[in-house]
Amino acid sequence: MGSPTTDANLAAHLRRAMLDADPALSRYNPLSRILVFDKFDTGTHGWTELIGNHDGEGNLDTVDDHMRDFRPPQLSSCTFFDVGTHGAMTGNYALKVATRPLTGHTAVAIRRLTMAKKGRVQFETYFTYKAEAASAENQAASQAGAGDWDGNIHPSEQQFGAFTVATDICDDRGERYHTVVRYQNTDLDNRFTRRWMYPVVPEPTPREHLEGKAKLGATDDFTAPNPQDWRSIGEPQSFCYNEVPTKVNWHYLRWVIDTEARKNIELQVNDRVYDMRDVPVPVYEERYDSLDNLLNFYVSARTHTGVRNFLFLDSVLVSVDW
Amino acid sequence: MRQSQAAVLERYRVLDGEFATEPYETGWATEARWFVRVLESSTPDTKLVLTTQVSPDGLHWCDAECPPQVAAGEGMVSWPVREFGQWLRIRGSVVGADQSAKVLIYLTLKS
Repeated sequence: MGSPTTDANLAAHLRRAMLDADPALSRYNPLSRILVFDKFDTGTHGWTELIGNHDGEGNLDTVDDHMRDFRPPQLSSCTFFDVGTHGAMTGNYALKVATRPLTGHTAVAIRRLTMAKKGRVQFETYFTYKAEAASAENQAASQAGAGDWDGNIHPSEQQFGAFTVATDICDDRGERYHTVVRYQNTDLDNRFTRRWMYPVVPEPTPREHLEGKAKLGATDDFTAPNPQDWRSIGEPQSFCYNEVPTKVNWHYLRWVIDTEARKNIELQVNDRVYDMRDVPVPVYEERYDSLDNLLNFYVSARTHTGVRNFLFLDSVLVSVDW
Repeated sequence: MRQSQAAVLERYRVLDGEFATEPYETGWATEARWFVRVLESSTPDTKLVLTTQVSPDGLHWCDAECPPQVAAGEGMVSWPVREFGQWLRIRGSVVGADQSAKVLIYLTLKS
């Protein structure tokens, strides 16, 4: 922003000043129109469990095996065994997406919108991620990924697999695609990789399953099941996990896509900015009905061991340049 | 207006022997009600014993003060819970060897 010598510059300064005057908004960098601002102190704001499609009789046995147990999101006070309630970044509650303690299990929460126009869309959040602390019942201390405690890195940090932020978008001609960014903390052998990744194939859909083109197991990676179909972006990034599974530090994420150009633009996570303009966006070959102007966002946590993995969102802001 | 939330903790899951539902955070809520739908049971009177449990940390559990519920055969049972603290789950068992029950388990919460 330059000096306020033109009407446009003055308007931009005024707008930023008004955002800065609001403590909740001042830590965000929204595009010109705020579509949603979800503060989880006041409910789940439309974030719900993702489920696959089912038949006309409501028989949930017809839901694909890998899309029937994505777990209901929770309003969490970030409470832990050692200190009690940690609380969220602001207020008491965050949205928690929690896996089962089952290798390969994925928990997914989704937010469903549509597009009034095409253009830039920006997803911002303050987030943190944790593996579950150990107990006699969950036996986390002896599950895969657990190692020795060296007083700095806690064994549980290598028991967090990955989290993903993604979209499901369909334009008004039935052309459907996903944009996806995943933070892979560890590989499938529970070794740190700490990198951002994207898939080069579109997610298998219930229709493809019904047509016999795809069949995934219950714990397959539904976003892109073949590990060979994932690529990394930029250099690895480490986060302040803060040494133990019960200390929560919040991280900033800002991701921009363009639904007019059907492209990724940019990912910012804390002090890193990743240029995503060359990250491909795979499109489904077939056209889809009933999804005109679909604009869904989902977040997921995926565990690579027999320990529950948690993704916490303090708040979410989606803005557009429409 | 009060907040409310319904969560599906088990969906078309076939239970046998001992089981426990996944931990669910309820610290924001004042009241809760469980709904357990038995969709199919291995015999018309297969019994499902359901005990509400509470936890301060999501890791360590004890039985809540409400009595265990018993579902026999297909149908739906429901019971309320209050003063439950931070977490809720159901510890349960399907009575009898070779017995099973296919269930939907809902936890409904209100501030």
